[in-house]
Amino acid sequence: MSDKSKQNISELMDGELSNDCSRFLIKRMQSDESLQSSWNNYHMLRSCLQQEHDAPVMHNLGAQVIGQLNKEADFTESVETNHKSGWLKSLAGAAIAASVAVVAVFTFNQNQVTPGVEPLPIYAKTSEQLVNPPNAAMVRVEQPVRYTRYPSLTPQIQTYLTESNNQPQIPVYYNAEYANKIIIQTRQKAQQNIAEE
Amino acid sequence: MNPSDKDKMSEKTLDAELVAQAKAGKMSAFELLVNRYQQRVANVIAKFIKDRHEIQDVAQEVFIKVFRALPNFRGDSSFYTWIYRIAVNTSKNHLVAKSRRIQNTQVEFEDAESFGSNEDYRNLDTPDAVYSRGELEQTMSKAISQLPEDLKQAIVLREVDGLSYEEIAVKMDCPIGTVRSRIFRARDAIDQAMRPLLSEQSTRKQHVR
Repeated sequence: MSDKSKQNISELMDGELSNDCSRFLIKRMQSDESLQSSWNNYHMLRSCLQQEHDAPVMHNLGAQVIGQLNKEADFTESVETNHKSGWLKSLAGAAIAASVAVVAVFTFNQNQVTPGVEPLPIYAKTSEQLVNPPNAAMVRVEQPVRYTRYPSLTPQIQTYLTESNNQPQIPVYYNAEYANKIIIQTRQKAQQNIAEE
Repeated sequence: MNPSDKDKMSEKTLDAELVAQAKAGKMSAFELLVNRYQQRVANVIAKFIKDRHEIQDVAQEVFIKVFRALPNFRGDSSFYTWIYRIAVNTSKNHLVAKSRRIQNTQVEFEDAESFGSNEDYRNLDTPDAVYSRGELEQTMSKAISQLPEDLKQAIVLREVDGLSYEEIAVKMDCPIGTVRSRIFRARDAIDQAMRPLLSEQSTRKQHVR
Protein backbone atom coordinates (compact mmCIF):
# COMPACT_ATOMS: atom_id res chain seq x y z
CA MET A 1 0.00 0.00 0.00
CA SER A 2 1.47 3.34 -1.03
CA ASP A 3 1.79 6.40 1.19
CA LYS A 4 -0.37 8.21 -1.36
CA SER A 5 -3.28 5.84 -0.69
CA LYS A 6 -2.87 6.31 3.04
CA GLN A 7 -2.71 10.08 2.69
CA ASN A 8 -5.90 9.86 0.63
CA ILE A 9 -7.58 8.00 3.52
CA SER A 10 -6.43 10.72 5.89
CA GLU A 11 -7.92 13.39 3.61
CA LEU A 12 -11.09 11.38 2.99
CA MET A 13 -11.96 11.17 6.67
CA ASP A 14 -11.53 14.96 6.96
CA GLY A 15 -13.70 15.68 3.91
CA GLU A 16 -10.70 17.06 2.03
CA LEU A 17 -10.51 14.59 -0.88
CA SER A 18 -12.10 15.11 -4.29
CA ASN A 19 -15.40 13.38 -5.07
CA ASP A 20 -13.97 11.05 -7.72
CA CYS A 21 -10.99 9.98 -5.61
CA SER A 22 -13.27 9.52 -2.59
CA ARG A 23 -15.64 7.18 -4.42
CA PHE A 24 -12.73 5.17 -5.81
CA LEU A 25 -11.07 4.93 -2.39
CA ILE A 26 -14.29 3.88 -0.62
CA LYS A 27 -14.61 1.05 -3.12
CA ARG A 28 -10.96 0.02 -2.69
CA MET A 29 -11.12 0.14 1.09
CA GLN A 30 -13.90 -2.43 1.14
CA SER A 31 -11.70 -5.03 -0.48
CA ASP A 32 -8.26 -4.06 0.86
CA GLU A 33 -7.62 -5.08 4.47
CA SER A 34 -4.53 -2.93 4.80
CA LEU A 35 -6.47 0.20 3.77
CA GLN A 36 -9.27 -0.77 6.16
CA SER A 37 -6.75 -1.17 8.93
CA SER A 38 -5.37 2.34 8.26
CA TRP A 39 -8.93 3.72 8.26
CA ASN A 40 -9.56 2.02 11.62
CA ASN A 41 -6.29 3.14 13.18
CA TYR A 42 -6.66 6.74 11.99
CA HIS A 43 -10.12 6.76 13.55
CA MET A 44 -8.74 5.18 16.70
CA LEU A 45 -6.32 8.10 17.01
CA ARG A 46 -9.32 10.39 16.57
CA SER A 47 -11.15 8.34 19.24
CA CYS A 48 -8.26 8.68 21.65
CA LEU A 49 -8.01 12.43 21.15
CA GLN A 50 -11.78 12.93 21.38
CA GLN A 51 -12.30 10.53 24.27
CA GLU A 52 -14.61 12.01 26.93
CA HIS A 53 -16.49 11.12 30.09
CA ASP A 54 -14.41 8.06 30.99
CA ALA A 55 -15.51 6.26 27.84
CA PRO A 56 -13.22 3.43 26.82
CA VAL A 57 -11.16 3.89 23.66
CA MET A 58 -13.16 2.08 21.02
CA HIS A 59 -11.32 -0.01 18.50
CA ASN A 60 -12.78 -1.85 15.52
CA LEU A 61 -16.30 -2.10 16.95
CA GLY A 62 -17.41 -2.46 13.32
CA ALA A 63 -16.04 -6.02 13.11
CA GLN A 64 -17.94 -6.98 16.30
CA VAL A 65 -21.18 -5.44 15.05
CA ILE A 66 -20.92 -7.15 11.66
CA GLY A 67 -20.12 -10.44 13.43
CA GLN A 68 -23.20 -10.05 15.64
CA LEU A 69 -25.43 -9.17 12.67
CA ASN A 70 -24.14 -12.21 10.76
CA LYS A 71 -24.79 -14.44 13.78
CA GLU A 72 -28.36 -13.13 14.05
CA ALA A 73 -28.87 -13.61 10.31
CA ASP A 74 -27.66 -17.24 10.60
CA PHE A 75 -29.97 -17.79 13.59
CA THR A 76 -32.97 -16.31 11.78
CA GLU A 77 -32.19 -18.45 8.74
CA SER A 78 -32.04 -21.63 10.84
CA VAL A 79 -35.29 -20.73 12.62
CA GLU A 80 -36.95 -20.13 9.25
CA THR A 81 -35.64 -23.47 7.96
CA ASN A 82 -37.01 -25.22 11.05
CA HIS A 83 -40.30 -23.37 10.63
CA LYS A 84 -40.42 -24.41 6.95
CA SER A 85 -39.62 -28.05 7.76
CA GLY A 86 -42.37 -27.98 10.44
CA TRP A 87 -44.76 -26.60 7.86
CA LEU A 88 -43.71 -29.30 5.38
CA LYS A 89 -44.26 -31.96 8.04
CA SER A 90 -47.81 -30.76 8.71
CA LEU A 91 -48.43 -30.52 4.95
CA ALA A 92 -47.22 -34.11 4.51
CA GLY A 93 -49.54 -35.19 7.34
CA ALA A 94 -52.46 -33.43 5.67
CA ALA A 95 -51.59 -35.07 2.33
CA ILE A 96 -51.59 -38.52 3.94
CA ALA A 97 -54.94 -37.79 5.61
CA ALA A 98 -56.37 -36.60 2.28
CA SER A 99 -55.13 -39.77 0.51
CA VAL A 100 -56.77 -41.94 3.14
CA ALA A 101 -60.01 -39.97 2.71
CA VAL A 102 -59.91 -40.40 -1.09
CA VAL A 103 -59.37 -44.17 -0.74
CA ALA A 104 -62.28 -44.30 1.71
CA VAL A 105 -64.57 -42.35 -0.66
CA PHE A 106 -63.64 -44.59 -3.61
CA THR A 107 -64.27 -47.74 -1.61
CA PHE A 108 -67.59 -46.37 -0.39
CA ASN A 109 -68.67 -45.36 -3.92
CA GLN A 110 -67.68 -48.73 -5.38
CA ASN A 111 -69.94 -50.40 -2.87
CA GLN A 112 -72.79 -48.13 -3.91
CA VAL A 113 -72.59 -48.93 -7.65
CA THR A 114 -75.07 -51.63 -8.60
CA PRO A 115 -73.63 -53.85 -11.34
CA GLY A 116 -75.47 -53.57 -14.67
CA VAL A 117 -77.15 -50.27 -13.81
CA GLU A 118 -75.75 -47.16 -15.47
CA PRO A 119 -75.19 -44.41 -12.94
CA LEU A 120 -76.94 -41.18 -13.80
CA PRO A 121 -74.76 -38.32 -14.98
CA ILE A 122 -74.60 -35.28 -12.75
CA TYR A 123 -74.95 -31.96 -14.52
CA ALA A 124 -73.05 -28.93 -13.37
CA LYS A 125 -75.48 -26.80 -11.41
CA THR A 126 -73.26 -24.10 -9.99
CA SER A 127 -70.45 -22.00 -11.45
CA GLU A 128 -68.03 -23.77 -9.13
CA GLN A 129 -69.10 -27.14 -10.45
CA LEU A 130 -68.34 -25.94 -13.98
CA VAL A 131 -64.69 -25.94 -12.95
CA ASN A 132 -64.50 -28.60 -10.25
CA PRO A 133 -66.29 -31.96 -10.10
CA PRO A 134 -69.06 -32.17 -7.47
CA ASN A 135 -67.17 -34.85 -5.56
CA ALA A 136 -63.87 -36.69 -5.55
CA ALA A 137 -65.18 -39.79 -7.33
CA MET A 138 -66.49 -37.83 -10.31
CA VAL A 139 -64.75 -37.09 -13.59
CA ARG A 140 -65.50 -34.22 -15.93
CA VAL A 141 -66.69 -35.13 -19.41
CA GLU A 142 -67.26 -32.35 -21.95
CA GLN A 143 -70.56 -32.82 -23.80
CA PRO A 144 -72.68 -30.79 -26.19
CA VAL A 145 -75.83 -29.23 -24.78
CA ARG A 146 -78.64 -31.76 -24.74
CA TYR A 147 -82.09 -30.22 -24.96
CA THR A 148 -83.83 -33.59 -24.56
CA ARG A 149 -83.91 -32.71 -20.93
CA TYR A 150 -86.64 -30.26 -21.85
CA PRO A 151 -89.35 -32.45 -23.47
CA SER A 152 -91.88 -29.60 -23.34
CA LEU A 153 -90.01 -27.80 -26.17
CA THR A 154 -91.24 -28.49 -29.67
CA PRO A 155 -88.89 -30.47 -31.96
CA GLN A 156 -88.51 -27.38 -34.19
CA ILE A 157 -87.32 -25.26 -31.29
CA GLN A 158 -84.98 -28.05 -30.15
CA THR A 159 -83.50 -28.30 -33.64
CA TYR A 160 -83.16 -24.55 -33.85
CA LEU A 161 -81.43 -24.40 -30.49
CA THR A 162 -79.06 -27.24 -31.34
CA GLU A 163 -78.13 -25.75 -34.69
CA SER A 164 -77.68 -22.19 -33.46
CA ASN A 165 -75.82 -23.21 -30.33
CA ASN A 166 -72.24 -21.87 -30.38
CA GLN A 167 -71.80 -21.83 -26.65
CA PRO A 168 -68.96 -23.79 -25.07
CA GLN A 169 -69.77 -27.29 -24.07
CA ILE A 170 -71.20 -27.78 -20.62
CA PRO A 171 -69.25 -30.26 -18.55
CA VAL A 172 -71.12 -33.24 -17.21
CA TYR A 173 -69.78 -35.34 -14.37
CA TYR A 174 -69.90 -39.11 -14.29
CA ASN A 175 -68.81 -41.62 -11.72
CA ALA A 176 -65.14 -42.21 -12.44
CA GLU A 177 -65.51 -45.99 -12.66
CA TYR A 178 -68.45 -45.67 -15.07
CA ALA A 179 -66.57 -43.21 -17.29
CA ASN A 180 -63.56 -45.57 -17.46
CA LYS A 181 -65.87 -48.48 -18.31
CA ILE A 182 -67.46 -46.47 -21.16
CA ILE A 183 -64.05 -45.49 -22.52
CA ILE A 184 -62.84 -49.12 -22.44
CA GLN A 185 -66.07 -50.33 -24.06
CA THR A 186 -65.82 -47.68 -26.81
CA ARG A 187 -62.21 -48.70 -27.54
CA GLN A 188 -63.12 -52.39 -27.56
CA LYS A 189 -66.02 -51.70 -29.99
CA ALA A 190 -63.72 -49.68 -32.24
CA GLN A 191 -61.17 -52.51 -32.24
CA GLN A 192 -63.92 -55.04 -33.00
CA ASN A 193 -65.19 -52.89 -35.90
CA ILE A 194 -61.69 -52.66 -37.33
CA ALA A 195 -61.24 -56.45 -36.98
CA GLU A 196 -64.60 -57.13 -38.66
CA GLU A 197 -63.79 -54.79 -41.53
CA MET B 1 -3.10 19.43 -6.63
CA ASN B 2 -5.62 20.52 -4.06
CA PRO B 3 -9.25 19.94 -4.96
CA SER B 4 -11.49 23.00 -4.88
CA ASP B 5 -14.12 23.19 -2.11
CA LYS B 6 -16.83 22.43 -4.65
CA ASP B 7 -15.06 19.29 -5.84
CA LYS B 8 -14.37 17.93 -2.33
CA MET B 9 -16.45 15.14 -0.86
CA SER B 10 -17.62 16.69 2.40
CA GLU B 11 -17.87 14.54 5.53
CA LYS B 12 -21.66 14.67 5.22
CA THR B 13 -21.49 13.43 1.63
CA LEU B 14 -19.01 10.74 2.67
CA ASP B 15 -21.50 9.54 5.30
CA ALA B 16 -24.32 9.65 2.76
CA GLU B 17 -22.23 7.61 0.33
CA LEU B 18 -21.41 4.98 2.97
CA VAL B 19 -25.05 4.90 4.15
CA ALA B 20 -26.28 4.40 0.57
CA GLN B 21 -23.87 1.49 0.11
CA ALA B 22 -24.82 -0.03 3.47
CA LYS B 23 -28.51 0.28 2.53
CA ALA B 24 -27.68 -1.58 -0.67
CA GLY B 25 -26.39 -4.43 1.51
CA LYS B 26 -22.65 -3.75 1.55
CA MET B 27 -21.71 -4.75 5.08
CA SER B 28 -18.13 -3.56 4.58
CA ALA B 29 -19.44 -0.02 4.02
CA PHE B 30 -21.43 -0.26 7.27
CA GLU B 31 -18.28 -1.49 9.06
CA LEU B 32 -16.43 1.63 7.88
CA LEU B 33 -19.31 3.76 9.22
CA VAL B 34 -19.29 2.03 12.61
CA ASN B 35 -15.55 2.50 13.01
CA ARG B 36 -15.98 6.12 12.00
CA TYR B 37 -18.53 6.90 14.71
CA GLN B 38 -17.75 4.33 17.42
CA GLN B 39 -15.97 6.78 19.74
CA ARG B 40 -18.52 9.57 19.48
CA VAL B 41 -21.27 7.06 20.25
CA ALA B 42 -19.27 5.66 23.19
CA ASN B 43 -18.80 9.20 24.52
CA VAL B 44 -22.57 9.77 24.42
CA ILE B 45 -23.27 6.45 26.19
CA ALA B 46 -20.64 7.23 28.83
CA LYS B 47 -22.75 10.21 29.96
CA PHE B 48 -25.37 7.69 31.16
CA ILE B 49 -23.42 4.53 31.92
CA LYS B 50 -20.19 4.28 33.87
CA ASP B 51 -19.11 0.68 33.40
CA ARG B 52 -16.76 0.37 30.41
CA HIS B 53 -17.92 -3.13 29.49
CA GLU B 54 -21.52 -2.01 29.48
CA ILE B 55 -20.60 1.00 27.34
CA GLN B 56 -19.12 -1.33 24.75
CA ASP B 57 -22.17 -3.63 24.85
CA VAL B 58 -24.59 -0.72 24.53
CA ALA B 59 -22.49 0.79 21.71
CA GLN B 60 -22.78 -2.52 19.87
CA GLU B 61 -26.54 -2.55 20.49
CA VAL B 62 -26.79 1.04 19.19
CA PHE B 63 -25.09 0.17 15.91
CA ILE B 64 -27.20 -2.97 15.46
CA LYS B 65 -30.31 -0.77 15.90
CA VAL B 66 -28.80 1.73 13.47
CA PHE B 67 -28.30 -1.02 10.90
CA ARG B 68 -31.88 -2.22 11.24
CA ALA B 69 -33.24 1.32 11.02
CA LEU B 70 -31.07 2.31 8.03
CA PRO B 71 -33.96 1.98 5.54
CA ASN B 72 -35.79 4.68 7.54
CA PHE B 73 -32.86 7.12 7.42
CA ARG B 74 -33.83 9.70 4.81
CA GLY B 75 -30.84 11.98 5.31
CA ASP B 76 -32.87 15.01 6.48
CA SER B 77 -30.53 15.37 9.44
CA SER B 78 -26.85 14.43 9.53
CA PHE B 79 -26.00 10.78 10.11
CA TYR B 80 -24.38 11.62 13.44
CA THR B 81 -27.47 13.54 14.68
CA TRP B 82 -29.55 10.50 13.84
CA ILE B 83 -27.30 7.96 15.60
CA TYR B 84 -26.90 10.36 18.54
CA ARG B 85 -30.66 10.11 19.18
CA ILE B 86 -30.54 6.32 18.91
CA ALA B 87 -27.57 6.21 21.32
CA VAL B 88 -29.37 8.39 23.90
CA ASN B 89 -32.59 6.33 23.72
CA THR B 90 -30.73 3.01 23.88
CA SER B 91 -28.71 4.17 26.91
CA LYS B 92 -31.87 5.32 28.73
CA ASN B 93 -33.66 2.07 27.92
CA HIS B 94 -30.63 0.11 29.12
CA LEU B 95 -30.72 1.94 32.46
CA VAL B 96 -34.48 1.39 32.87
CA ALA B 97 -34.16 -2.33 32.04
CA LYS B 98 -31.22 -2.64 34.38
CA SER B 99 -32.99 -0.95 37.30
CA ARG B 100 -35.89 -3.37 36.77
CA ARG B 101 -33.47 -6.29 36.82
CA ILE B 102 -31.84 -5.03 40.00
CA GLN B 103 -35.27 -4.54 41.65
CA ASN B 104 -36.24 -8.06 40.65
CA THR B 105 -33.01 -9.55 42.00
CA GLN B 106 -33.23 -10.66 45.60
CA VAL B 107 -29.91 -9.61 47.14
CA GLU B 108 -29.21 -10.91 50.61
CA PHE B 109 -28.65 -8.20 53.20
CA GLU B 110 -25.07 -9.36 53.95
CA ASP B 111 -24.22 -9.54 50.25
CA ALA B 112 -25.66 -6.09 49.65
CA GLU B 113 -23.60 -4.73 52.52
CA SER B 114 -20.38 -6.17 51.11
CA PHE B 115 -20.83 -4.07 47.96
CA GLY B 116 -19.78 -0.56 48.93
CA SER B 117 -21.73 0.99 46.06
CA ASN B 118 -23.74 0.08 43.05
CA GLU B 119 -20.73 1.22 41.00
CA ASP B 120 -18.61 -1.64 42.38
CA TYR B 121 -21.43 -4.07 41.76
CA ARG B 122 -21.46 -3.07 38.10
CA ASN B 123 -17.71 -3.08 37.52
CA LEU B 124 -17.21 -6.49 36.02
CA ASP B 125 -14.11 -5.78 33.86
CA THR B 126 -11.88 -8.81 33.61
CA PRO B 127 -8.18 -8.23 34.45
CA ASP B 128 -7.26 -9.21 30.88
CA ALA B 129 -9.60 -6.64 29.38
CA VAL B 130 -8.33 -3.95 31.76
CA TYR B 131 -4.73 -4.84 30.89
CA SER B 132 -5.23 -4.83 27.10
CA ARG B 133 -7.26 -1.63 27.23
CA GLY B 134 -4.62 0.03 29.37
CA GLU B 135 -1.91 -1.17 27.01
CA LEU B 136 -3.74 0.23 24.00
CA GLU B 137 -4.33 3.61 25.58
CA GLN B 138 -0.78 3.80 26.93
CA THR B 139 0.77 2.97 23.56
CA MET B 140 -1.44 5.56 21.90
CA SER B 141 -0.64 8.27 24.46
CA LYS B 142 3.08 7.48 24.19
CA ALA B 143 2.98 7.63 20.37
CA ILE B 144 1.16 10.99 20.48
CA SER B 145 3.61 12.43 22.98
CA GLN B 146 6.55 11.32 20.81
CA LEU B 147 5.24 13.11 17.71
CA PRO B 148 7.29 16.07 16.45
CA GLU B 149 5.77 19.34 17.67
CA ASP B 150 4.49 20.53 14.25
CA LEU B 151 2.73 17.20 13.59
CA LYS B 152 1.25 17.11 17.09
CA GLN B 153 -0.05 20.68 16.77
CA ALA B 154 -1.59 19.96 13.35
CA ILE B 155 -3.38 16.78 14.50
CA VAL B 156 -4.63 18.37 17.75
CA LEU B 157 -5.98 21.42 15.86
CA ARG B 158 -7.78 19.04 13.51
CA GLU B 159 -9.10 16.36 15.89
CA VAL B 160 -9.56 18.23 19.15
CA ASP B 161 -10.37 21.76 17.97
CA GLY B 162 -12.12 20.55 14.80
CA LEU B 163 -10.52 23.15 12.52
CA SER B 164 -10.55 22.77 8.73
CA TYR B 165 -7.29 22.41 6.77
CA GLU B 166 -7.56 26.03 5.65
CA GLU B 167 -8.00 27.28 9.20
CA ILE B 168 -5.06 25.18 10.37
CA ALA B 169 -2.94 26.59 7.53
CA VAL B 170 -3.75 30.11 8.70
CA LYS B 171 -3.11 29.23 12.34
CA MET B 172 0.21 27.48 11.63
CA ASP B 173 1.18 29.98 8.94
CA CYS B 174 2.00 27.38 6.30
CA PRO B 175 0.59 26.24 2.93
CA ILE B 176 -2.47 23.99 2.95
CA GLY B 177 -0.42 21.21 1.30
CA THR B 178 1.88 21.20 4.31
CA VAL B 179 -1.14 20.85 6.59
CA ARG B 180 -2.33 17.84 4.59
CA SER B 181 1.09 16.25 4.85
CA ARG B 182 1.53 16.98 8.59
CA ILE B 183 -1.86 15.58 9.53
CA PHE B 184 -1.23 12.45 7.46
CA ARG B 185 2.28 11.94 8.91
CA ALA B 186 0.94 12.28 12.44
CA ARG B 187 -1.74 9.68 11.78
CA ASP B 188 0.68 7.37 10.02
CA ALA B 189 3.17 7.53 12.91
CA ILE B 190 0.41 6.47 15.34
CA ASP B 191 -0.74 3.78 12.87
CA GLN B 192 2.78 2.31 12.74
CA ALA B 193 3.07 2.39 16.54
CA MET B 194 -0.28 0.64 17.03
CA ARG B 195 0.00 -2.10 14.38
CA PRO B 196 2.26 -4.56 16.31
CA LEU B 197 0.06 -4.27 19.42
CA LEU B 198 -3.21 -4.66 17.49
CA SER B 199 -1.97 -7.67 15.50
CA GLU B 200 -0.76 -9.23 18.79
CA GLN B 201 -4.21 -8.64 20.29
CA SER B 202 -6.03 -10.15 17.32
CA THR B 203 -3.72 -13.21 17.50
CA ARG B 204 -4.50 -13.50 21.22
CA LYS B 205 -8.25 -13.29 20.49
CA GLN B 206 -7.95 -16.01 17.83
CA HIS B 207 -6.16 -18.27 20.34
CA VAL B 208 -8.91 -17.71 22.91
CA ARG B 209 -11.58 -18.64 20.29
